Amino acid sequence: MNKRVLKFLCLGLILPVMTAGMVSCKSAGSKSGADGEIHLAIVDDIVSMDAHKTSNDYIVPMNVFDSLFSIKKNPDGTTEIVNSLADSFTVSDDGLVYKFTLKDGIVFSDGTPLKADDVKFTFERILTLPDSAQTDFVIAIDGAEELLNGQATELRGITVEDDLHFTITLAEPFSGFIAQLATPSTVIYSRKIVTEAGNDFGTVPEKTIGTGPYIVTAWNRGSSLSFEYNTRYWGEEPSVKKVEIKVMDASSMNMAFQKGDLDILDCLFLDSAIVDSTYKNGAYKDSLVSVDRLGTNYFLLNENIEPLTDVKVRKAIQLSIDRDSILQSVYGGDGKLEDGIYPSGCLGYSQANQGWLKRDTQEAKKLLKEAGYENGFDMEISVDAGAADAINNSIQIIAENLKEVGINANIKSYDHASWLDLRNSGKMPSFVALWILDFNDPDNIIYTFFGSVDNTVSRSDNYGDTATIARVADARKIVNTDDRMAEYAALEKKLVQDDAVWVPLYSLKHTYVKGSRVKNFTPHWAGWSDIYFSGVELF
Amino acid sequence: MWEGVKKVIYVITVLLGVMILIFLMLRIIPGDTASVLLNDHVNQEALARMTENLGLDKPLPVQFFRYLTGVLRGDLGQSFYYNRPVLSLIAEAFPNTLLLSVMAALFAWVFGILAGVISVLHNRRFPDYLFSGLSLLGISVPVFMTALFLQYIFYFRLSLFPQNYNGSVYSMILPAVALGWNSAGSIGRLTRSNLMEQMQAPYIDTAKAKGMTAKRAVLTHGLKNAMLPIITMMAIQFSGMLSGAVITESIFGISGIGKLAITAVQTRDMPLLQGTVLFAALLVAVGNIAADVINRVLDPRLKNTK
Repeated sequence: MNKRVLKFLCLGLILPVMTAGMVSCKSAGSKSGADGEIHLAIVDDIVSMDAHKTSNDYIVPMNVFDSLFSIKKNPDGTTEIVNSLADSFTVSDDGLVYKFTLKDGIVFSDGTPLKADDVKFTFERILTLPDSAQTDFVIAIDGAEELLNGQATELRGITVEDDLHFTITLAEPFSGFIAQLATPSTVIYSRKIVTEAGNDFGTVPEKTIGTGPYIVTAWNRGSSLSFEYNTRYWGEEPSVKKVEIKVMDASSMNMAFQKGDLDILDCLFLDSAIVDSTYKNGAYKDSLVSVDRLGTNYFLLNENIEPLTDVKVRKAIQLSIDRDSILQSVYGGDGKLEDGIYPSGCLGYSQANQGWLKRDTQEAKKLLKEAGYENGFDMEISVDAGAADAINNSIQIIAENLKEVGINANIKSYDHASWLDLRNSGKMPSFVALWILDFNDPDNIIYTFFGSVDNTVSRSDNYGDTATIARVADARKIVNTDDRMAEYAALEKKLVQDDAVWVPLYSLKHTYVKGSRVKNFTPHWAGWSDIYFSGVELF
Repeated sequence: MWEGVKKVIYVITVLLGVMILIFLMLRIIPGDTASVLLNDHVNQEALARMTENLGLDKPLPVQFFRYLTGVLRGDLGQSFYYNRPVLSLIAEAFPNTLLLSVMAALFAWVFGILAGVISVLHNRRFPDYLFSGLSLLGISVPVFMTALFLQYIFYFRLSLFPQNYNGSVYSMILPAVALGWNSAGSIGRLTRSNLMEQMQAPYIDTAKAKGMTAKRAVLTHGLKNAMLPIITMMAIQFSGMLSGAVITESIFGISGIGKLAITAVQTRDMPLLQGTVLFAALLVAVGNIAADVINRVLDPRLKNTK
């Protein structure tokens, strides 16, 4: 009896090990790219597939849906807006009335034809969804405010002439409007599909249907997403036909890539020491793909908090930070210094506003003395506990730099939700963060931080010069592009050089490693972590 | 009978206490779901609109009462973050956690008890040192180390197992071993020490006097008596595993209860956190009662005690 028990116990232990030996695990696709399948990884699962309900997760909107326009990156690094669902458009001389024509014959992946009315439906939905995260992207349209506030039931700024033609009237001229229509925030939905799907739209793959090159075939929450090529896609057929995205932590990602089970590795997720030793200098150094990220890393100072209220103190802080050594030691030199608000590559990037900021601790000390802080002071730098190691390391160096001029910076860590809450309340003393462009226009960044008193509170800069704030808001309305860019350059100079509310740091490269099956890989034009699968070409 | 009623009242009190505690805690700590959802596309208007939409602008007692009446009707509410019913999120995640826990517990029990028994039978000889050492390793190595080590050996080096859970039972073996390793260690040590104690008991001498071999006496008499505290431990450990193993789930990409709970905390998703915590509390309470019941069945002496 007891022998039987013992035998049973032994079997229970040995059996799994034996089966393990016999069944070999399935590898991730063939070694060549002939099957058209790629395997990718992300660290956090997406929250929703619905672009209107998220401002973080664009992997589905970018690949399953299309916007009216899209962005093309030229070999020289410049970007241009090209037609996507839109076939053509005209603008009236006063910059208010946009007349659009849709491409003929476009269908959603279930066969539903795309109509001009779908555009109207989409923009109205952005403004009427109670949990909409994208209202900023269509607020320029005439009547948008009223629809948002519940004073209207329809968006009066859009009129649909027929299935292919529609007109959008803006409340005020806004030259960045077409750029906004080239983002995944404004992808076009079908009235019929979304209405029929109800709450399942954006949560159930089969019902989340777009016009884009791919179809979502499965979403296992917390573990994986699967995509397949949409055979009804109107554009060029991509090289990649099937995509598997797994949610995994960084160390697993690193392991899986080296094993050949991942085709593209996003170095942003990895520790920079591993990137340096294994990838930049190891066997993979010829497989690196880098893109200049259209984003500025900045250090923002809250003008409401003593003694940051004093412009001399803020200027002293600008002068004391050794940005070059942060760039070299934390980011391995993979980036360039930025002296303004707009990152290199951004439309309206002003060369004249560059090159003025050099580290000068003597001058910084002099300014502090003039401001009455000869013996320094204490300040807080608030850091998001979920921020990348690199951000934390940069803040450490910044604190050291400030100490050299007598400023005692305490680094205080908050969890992500608390950090956001404090920043939105306008009470965050100072912080280091990154803004990556949503659309290529200086308005996207300057308006976000300085476009209204509310915005200066939400970003905790509390910039106090209301005349300049009004200028930022008015710059949107300048119809002539050259005039508008000149105004943006002047505003950048005023905010950064004269008022020192913004401490510019640098813009960085976003580096990926491609696996042996990948021939070419084009990252997102602004260097987002989300990628277009059609930008991957297999051997 | 009265015992049973008392237990049910105890469970209800615990659950209510847990609910109030979580509710208040989430209100005291800063941060809210609206900010997390809007993230970088925030403006004060959108923030106000979303807060209102989530019902977070109502006074606390109103919010809590609303939640409580929902729970009594069996409605755990809608997750703020995922915008889906909490119950269906839990129902989706639980099968994965259940499979992981059952397999981890089986591994822990089989391996742990076996290690304990072998150690006693070969007291102070090589197998004893080997298994005692392994048990000590089990309780002292953190689960993320075990998990990465297993991944490295069995996935990266030997290609025997997939790296992540892919829905198959087979792919759950590594996570189960990683999670069960720790419990196996503590069960092994407990089995060994309890069994050693039983070996000194007079009834073992009697059994030996009747002509039984030491091995047989241990397995037929000693083990049954030594099992009581071990079973209690197994039941509690098992209900703990069921309420979510965050680290194991994260490393092996298993969408289970643990991951759900962590997301709920990070995003200040009150209904989801309440849901997962209530669920976990319920499991632990039931686990405790089950251990009690099993003990009573195994030990007739406990039947008459209160």
